[in-house]
Amino acid sequence: MVIAAIGIAAAAALWRRDGAPAVGAALYHAWELFLFIAPSLLAGLLLAAALRQLVSPGALARWMGAESGWFGLAVATLAGALTPGGPMAAFPLVLVLAGAGADRGALVAYILSWALNGFQKLLVYEMPLLGPDFAIMRTLVTLPMPMIAGYIARRLPIAWEPPK
Amino acid sequence: MTGGQVFLAVIALVAFGFCLRRGPGSARRAVVDTGQGLWKILPIFAVALPMAAFLAELIPADAAVAWIGPESGVSGVVVASFAGGLMPGGPFVTFPLVLAFAKAGAGVPQMAALITGWSIFALHRIITWEYPILGWRFVAIRLIAAAPLPIVAGLLAEAVVAVLPIGLGRP
Repeated sequence: MVIAAIGIAAAAALWRRDGAPAVGAALYHAWELFLFIAPSLLAGLLLAAALRQLVSPGALARWMGAESGWFGLAVATLAGALTPGGPMAAFPLVLVLAGAGADRGALVAYILSWALNGFQKLLVYEMPLLGPDFAIMRTLVTLPMPMIAGYIARRLPIAWEPPK
Repeated sequence: MTGGQVFLAVIALVAFGFCLRRGPGSARRAVVDTGQGLWKILPIFAVALPMAAFLAELIPADAAVAWIGPESGVSGVVVASFAGGLMPGGPFVTFPLVLAFAKAGAGVPQMAALITGWSIFALHRIITWEYPILGWRFVAIRLIAAAPLPIVAGLLAEAVVAVLPIGLGRP
């Protein structure tokens, strides 16, 4: 709804400035862009769907305790990247992981990894729209970051208890 | 099709092959899931892509160059990191907007910083999900631990782009 409103406002502004042909040209650009991203979009959706059949992130929780060290942070990062869907799917899983013994460093790594490199967002939006080259480069650059943040989070002097 | 698109398609087919090996039920669910995903995504793209195209026409070609252009360096990366944190909405808003910024002259490292900042800070997600579920102490821990990361991501991306010519959107 928000995008629709912005889109209509932008179309109206463009119409007033440059007239109807400019709006038509912009729509044609959008269509060309769609044709260009369609193959990536299909492949991305298929890969995301196949991965959902193959893995379940919650099963990894037992390796994410406070004593798990870098290995636990790496597992949390992997689990985060493999978590499909938006926040309504990810944050309930955070509670499941906390209940299964994941410590705050692992939870920080998990949330950051999901937010940065969640495979669904990556495959369905970023790869098709911004191009696989950019998406792969950005993913590789940010891949170790959740682990580093989780390591720092374990050492921050802020008391926190997981919600029951 | 570009090399990256072919690569993505091959990976998708390999993953689907694993589903087939698991059994026909698993493969059928993956296909149904793909169809449902497409059904959900197409209306969003039908609105988001024209929006991005209109905005790209409206934003003057060099409007973004001074602030977040390829030559803006570290200050552009910092600006983009903060701007990313303030961008509301899910990926269907953010990525088309990034595309519009790129057409308006934004640099690749700056856009990597913007997406990283949006991923890490996304204020709307903290307010609606993280704070109610995990509490403000957890939010504080996570934000302190992650605060410098968008800027680091932008600088690393700058180093990569200096070696490999990576563009945004259509080649």
